[in-house]
Amino acid sequence: MLEPLIPNNVVCHAVEAMVFASIACSILGVVISRMNLSSIGFTMSHAAFAGASIGMFLGTSAQMAAIAFSVGVAALIGPISDKAKMAADATLGVLFALCMAIAIFLISYMQYLGKGLSASALLFGDVISLYREEIYALAAVSLLTIIFVLLFYKEICAIMFNMKIAQASGMRVNVVYYILLFIIAISVALCLNIVGGLLIFVWLVTPASIASQFCFDVKSMFILAPLVALFVSAFGVWAGFEFTLPIAPLVALLLTGTFGLAVLLSTKRKITTRRH
Amino acid sequence: MSIIELEGIYTAYEGDDKPIIKDLTLRIDRGEYVVIGGPNSAGKTTLLESINGLVKITHGRATVCGLDVGRKGHEVRKKVGYVVQNFYFDPFTPFTTEQVVMMGRYGRLGLLKRPSEADYRAAERAIRLVGIEDLAQKTIGTLSGGQQQKVMIAHNLAKEPEVLLLDEPFSNLDFSAREYLQGILLGLVKGGTPIVTVSHAFDGLPDIRIHLVVMNDGRITKDIECSSRSVEDIVRESSFKRAM
Repeated sequence: MLEPLIPNNVVCHAVEAMVFASIACSILGVVISRMNLSSIGFTMSHAAFAGASIGMFLGTSAQMAAIAFSVGVAALIGPISDKAKMAADATLGVLFALCMAIAIFLISYMQYLGKGLSASALLFGDVISLYREEIYALAAVSLLTIIFVLLFYKEICAIMFNMKIAQASGMRVNVVYYILLFIIAISVALCLNIVGGLLIFVWLVTPASIASQFCFDVKSMFILAPLVALFVSAFGVWAGFEFTLPIAPLVALLLTGTFGLAVLLSTKRKITTRRH
Repeated sequence: MSIIELEGIYTAYEGDDKPIIKDLTLRIDRGEYVVIGGPNSAGKTTLLESINGLVKITHGRATVCGLDVGRKGHEVRKKVGYVVQNFYFDPFTPFTTEQVVMMGRYGRLGLLKRPSEADYRAAERAIRLVGIEDLAQKTIGTLSGGQQQKVMIAHNLAKEPEVLLLDEPFSNLDFSAREYLQGILLGLVKGGTPIVTVSHAFDGLPDIRIHLVVMNDGRITKDIECSSRSVEDIVRESSFKRAM
């Protein structure tokens, strides 16, 4: 897609992947951080991690297995929270532990069997060895995320404001909530190869947190968060290739640095010294 | 047919070994001003949330606005306003008063539909009615508790509800704001919308006949019509007797 601008195929794929991952994750991140569901990031990333391990163990596509398992976990979060009368955060904690246990169990067992699985690609990502199909899938999920936000904008705003008040006003909050979990699951599973299971959390939380330092309304957060993520990610890819540095951790560090800067510069914390 | 009909309802929360509401029967007609009183943990808030279907009814029959609450809970909630008791909005909440009031219309609109001119007009009317025009562009988290309460009342008025449920609606309001909002509620009652309010503060009730419901331990211990001035004495007496 960006070949006319970036002639080097490897760099081009890396930039495209980072751009699409930034768009999808940061838009979802605005909803996630506002709903205090930050732990959904690490739960879904570890669900994808566990799914990929299952795929490798069974000798099938790791990515397809990661998507299927993540979607399965996403489908469980809502009903378990409802049935167990637990906060979604507590349910996420339980599922996170389960996913981690499955992943570690299978990786250890495969090593015992002499299958010699390396988990580093799943944990840390490998942005320079992506297939074109993976980038197309990421583009599709970015588009799906944008369409989701545009279609359900009023419902998303209402549940971001207060889930109980939204429900009391007669909205079908569960429908939107379950679709949101589904899109998060697919996005995280697809991003696993790019930034890895451990770093995906940065993309889901940090750009939205940066935007929240400056934005007073949700619409501008939905615009600023992906713009920040996109700019920092593209710069990170360029710097990674230019100075031969690991790209995903570099972008994560740059995003965190930007967040620190945003906190320092935020106008929201300014206290007026005016007397009138 | 009454607009709210509860017949022998029981409601229970998951995990509880006994129901919160027990064998409760209540009828509320259009244009009634209903006050629900009683001691803490009598089941007053649970009763409101049973009426709009937020809490599951395990036994009995509940019909609101002609709809079966058990089967069509969210349809009921589209027609019933509910001002919740406890809310906290952090100072960084990125929604203005105007947006929050508009959200009151979203349930009626349904999925995927955008607000129309009529919706914006209804939200503007509610803001004007409650007298919070000066707060319209302010984010809700930066308002005082009393101002937030007014916004939540406007949120429900924008909905143009057929029934309005209020849980301790005046707890954060000063005397003049309380009197002003009582005037608005009186206007709704005169227009035929029943008001059902849970309260511990009975001063400043409008000078009309009140349908008083006193609850204790999940049951109705008194269901009478009385003057607004006698509400406090009757609630006090009924609660005291029960405590003895």
